[in-house]
Amino acid sequence: MSAIKKLNLKGHLLTAISYLIPIVCGAGFVIAIGMAFGGNSGADLTQEFTFWDALAKMGAGALGLLPAVISTGIAYSIASKPGIAPGFIIGLTANAVGAGFIGGIIGGFVAGYLAVAIIKYLKVPSWAKGLMPTLIVPFLTSLIGGLFMVYVIGLPVAAFTSWLTNALNSLGTSSLLIFGAVIGLLSGVDFGGPINKTVFAFVLTMQTEGINEPITALQLVNTATPIGFGLAYFIAKMFGKNIYTRSEVETLKSAVPMGVVNIVEGVIPIVMNDIVRCVTAVAIGGAAGGAVTMVLGADATVPFGGVLMLPTMSKPLAGALAIIVNVVVTGLALALLKKNVKEDEQVEVEEEDIDLDDIQII
Amino acid sequence: MKIVGVAACTVGIAHTYIAQEKLETAGKKRGHEIQIETQGTIGVENELTQKQIDEADIVILAVDVKIAGRERFEGKRIIQVSTEIAVKSPNKLIEKAEQVVNAQK
Repeated sequence: MSAIKKLNLKGHLLTAISYLIPIVCGAGFVIAIGMAFGGNSGADLTQEFTFWDALAKMGAGALGLLPAVISTGIAYSIASKPGIAPGFIIGLTANAVGAGFIGGIIGGFVAGYLAVAIIKYLKVPSWAKGLMPTLIVPFLTSLIGGLFMVYVIGLPVAAFTSWLTNALNSLGTSSLLIFGAVIGLLSGVDFGGPINKTVFAFVLTMQTEGINEPITALQLVNTATPIGFGLAYFIAKMFGKNIYTRSEVETLKSAVPMGVVNIVEGVIPIVMNDIVRCVTAVAIGGAAGGAVTMVLGADATVPFGGVLMLPTMSKPLAGALAIIVNVVVTGLALALLKKNVKEDEQVEVEEEDIDLDDIQII
Repeated sequence: MKIVGVAACTVGIAHTYIAQEKLETAGKKRGHEIQIETQGTIGVENELTQKQIDEADIVILAVDVKIAGRERFEGKRIIQVSTEIAVKSPNKLIEKAEQVVNAQK
C-alpha cells in the first residue's frame, strides 16, 4: 500500500489533467461556437470552407490529440523534462492503435517511468553524456514504450473500450437513470475538485469513443450548479429567508456567469462556509440533472462550453431541460437546507481534525 | 516563526487561492510571518524570494499537482498536504507546523 502511495499515481494523473483542462476548455469553446453555427468538424480546410467550419475544425484537431496531451502530461509529471518527448510519442501511438484516452493514460505512466529508469540505470561513457538527453533517452523510451503500446497494451485496451461502448449503448432506461444520477452526483460533490476531474477523465474517454451523453451529464451539472446557487437566493427570498451573507452575494455575481460557461469553481468560497448543506443540495440537484440528461439522451458532441453545448446536441431541448431541472432542484434544496443568516454575518466553521495519513513531513 | 509555502490545485483557479488565503490568515492569526506562493493556471503569483525561503523555519506545500521550482526547498523541513486539507483545516495545519518546528529544536 505504502509503495503504491509512494508512486503517487493520482498526483501524476491530476497534474496531467491540470495541463489538459485549459486545452479542453479553449478547444471546446472554439468547436462549440463553430458547431453551434453549423460548422463541420470534419471539414477539409484546404478545400472550400466556411468560417464556422474553420472554428469547428480547429477545436476538433486539438480535442483529437487529447490522448497525446494526457500522456505527455503524466510523463512530464513523473520524469520532468525528459518525460515530454516519450510521453508525446507514446501518446500519439495510443491514438494510432485505437487505445484512446485510457491508452494515453497508461502510455504516459509507461513513458515517465521508462525515462526515469533509463536515466538512473543506463550508464554511458562521458563522451556520450551530451547524447543522453537529446538522443538516448527519447529514442529508447519511445522505442520500448511505443512498441509496448502497439503489441501489448493496444489490443486489450481497444477491446475494453469497445466493450464499454457496447455495454453503455445497451443500457435500459432505469440503468440510464441510475448511471446519470451517479455521474451528476459525483461531479457535483466536490465542485471541480479531484473527484469531478476523475469522473471527467472517465466520461471524456467515452466521448472519444462516440458516447456523448455521460460527458454532457457532467458538464451540464457543472453549468447548472452555480446557476442553482443564484436561483436559491431568490427562492429563499420568496420564503422570507436570507441564506447568503453580503460577501457571498458578491461572490455569486461572478459565480453565476462563470457557471453559464461551464466553470463551477466560482461557488467554492460559498460552499466552504457551509460545506455539508451545500454539498447535499448540489448532490441532489446534480443527480436529478444527470438522470434527466441520460434518460432523455442529451448528447453534446463537444466536451465543454456550458449553454454553448446545447446547439451541438441532436436534442437541444433535452439538454435545456436537464439544466432547468438541475438548477431548480439545487436552488430549492439550498433554499430549504441553508440556515437563515444575517447579511453581515461572519461565518465561523468548526475545523476538521487532520488525519496523520493525509500529511507528509519531509 | 517564518513560514513559506506553495499552493497549487488541479484546475488552478479556485482551491489554489482559497488555500493561500486561508493559510496566510491562519498563520498571521497565530503571529507568524507567512507567505504562500500560488501556482495556478495563470502561472506563478506572489512568488517567494530565495531569501524568504532561506530564512523560513518551515515550508508548507498545499499541492495536488507537480509544482515548479520544488528544488528551491531542498534541505528544508517540508509539510506536504493536499489543498483540501489546507482549505478545510488551516489553523490545525499551522499548529502542526509549529509542532514540527518545535520538535526539531
